[in-house]
Amino acid sequence: MTMMDERELRRSFEQLREADRDRVPGFAQISERARTRRRLRVPQRLRPLVIGAAVVVAILSFFQARGRSLAPAAATPAITTWRAPTDVFLTAPGIELLGSMPTLGASVLDKMIPTPSNKGT
Amino acid sequence: MSSTPIPLILEAANAEVRAMDDVELRRQLERVHADCFGWAMACCGRDSDDAEEVLQTVYLTVLDGHARYDGRSSFRTWLFGVIRRTAASRRRTAWLRGLLLERNGERMRPEAPAPTDAKVESDSRGETLRNALAHLAARQQQVLHLVFYQDLTVDEAAAVMGMSVGSARTHYARGKARLATLLGDARDL
Repeated sequence: MTMMDERELRRSFEQLREADRDRVPGFAQISERARTRRRLRVPQRLRPLVIGAAVVVAILSFFQARGRSLAPAAATPAITTWRAPTDVFLTAPGIELLGSMPTLGASVLDKMIPTPSNKGT
Repeated sequence: MSSTPIPLILEAANAEVRAMDDVELRRQLERVHADCFGWAMACCGRDSDDAEEVLQTVYLTVLDGHARYDGRSSFRTWLFGVIRRTAASRRRTAWLRGLLLERNGERMRPEAPAPTDAKVESDSRGETLRNALAHLAARQQQVLHLVFYQDLTVDEAAAVMGMSVGSARTHYARGKARLATLLGDARDL
């Protein structure tokens, strides 16, 4: 690389620096934004307190949620008395026909048709 | 004769000294502000928004006393070191955040935007150089920026970049040769 090349290189960087100068935000602007950020930041001495409070809240929430999931429901019915709410759909017209075992040579309709033997009863 | 207790007088004096320090710091920061912005741009892949954010963080760090100038180098050199470290830290955070967002199916923002940025394109001055610099390794870009743009010596550049002078010289020589070739090619086109 010759000295001429190096001078050219310096000139190119000089052009870049000039281009950047036009875009430099004012010191006051940057400084003011930095000051705003500082105001929004939690002061150094309060940080342990804030972190501690956050940890306590997190622990309390955890135990509260855990306790809620473990606690038995207040009015849980006994399994022997419990009826499914959908039981009503199991009762349909003619359900009694399926309630007993059919016998060979007989029809399920026999139970519905009055016979001489059960006519009198 | 005043009956003000001595601790109160000392406290007032300390407050005055702190205020003086703050004023002096601000004055020094303002003096090198334009150079700092240029260096922050170089550290942030020429993204002016990122550069502004980095400068805000750096000014806060310095004014709050979290980074203290110890007088071992020039104020500007020391401040450039703080800017480099802040930009690196910000880049790492952005990378981690990008990784998490990518995991959630979002696209990660490129770390160093290519010189197709609208602002950059609108400004034709130095565009060839910017394009050529984008082809160099980050360390080479930074050492060349510090030497040619900020007029630092290679030794000072090494101090800013937190590396040995030998490494800085190697990056400088290789970067300069590569940049000369790239600019030569661009001129021939």
